[in-house]
Amino acid sequence: MNQQAGMTLIVKTVTRISVWLILLYGIYIILHGHLSPGGGFAGGVIIALAFLNVMLAFGRDFIKNWLNIEMLHDIDSSSATMFLAVGILGMAFGGSFLANFIPHGTLFNLVSSGTIQVLNIVIGLKVGMGLFIVVWALALFHLDRKELK
Amino acid sequence: MTVYLLCFTLLLVGIYGIITKRDLVRIIISSGIMGYAVNLLIVLFGYKNGSIYAIFIKDTPVSPQMMVDPLPQALVLTSIVIELGTTAMLVALAVRLFEKYQTFDITKIRRLSG
Repeated sequence: MNQQAGMTLIVKTVTRISVWLILLYGIYIILHGHLSPGGGFAGGVIIALAFLNVMLAFGRDFIKNWLNIEMLHDIDSSSATMFLAVGILGMAFGGSFLANFIPHGTLFNLVSSGTIQVLNIVIGLKVGMGLFIVVWALALFHLDRKELK
Repeated sequence: MTVYLLCFTLLLVGIYGIITKRDLVRIIISSGIMGYAVNLLIVLFGYKNGSIYAIFIKDTPVSPQMMVDPLPQALVLTSIVIELGTTAMLVALAVRLFEKYQTFDITKIRRLSG
């Protein structure tokens, strides 16, 4: 089977514009997680879908040069430690694990939820990178039909 | 009561698919349908008739008594993540099986040795 790199020119041109909009929408969903529906998980999934869009349109060889997969893997692995660090900082300054230690702003402002927003960002990084790496690892398999040994 | 029975019907659809289908991809989709049925049931436990979602909106006065119970939704979010991991693992196993046997038909996957 001929593995042509990516899809047609139309899909590639649209992807070149839309991927940044999808990434921006994911970041918006993560940052407004305490005000509106959404949050770290939903925004992380949207960020992973932006990368997945590029991988589907341009092929898996392109994404290896465009993104630093090793760095994504490092972010994915370290975000669990970051979550733990925020929890332990709450233990140090707030009294108990995951307690709030950042001052509240006024209600309905963007920065008004203390550590919840930080945790949303950490969860968004974890989910986005983890989900994209799962799909990328599954795309590495060559599913060409060949004769049984 | 009817919605709970419909959830149970959806669960039965998933079980039917897992038992009767021979294609590995359809089995994975059926296990996903089972998970969706359970998630829907847990979300419906927290639902009150005529209530709104559990989020405060600016300039819109709402009381917490009007909101649905947010605890089942948080629980279902965890369940969705676990389901995602399970599905990813099943897909990876199916891909490995396809590499070895060149088929997704489980009746043709017979050589368990090696």
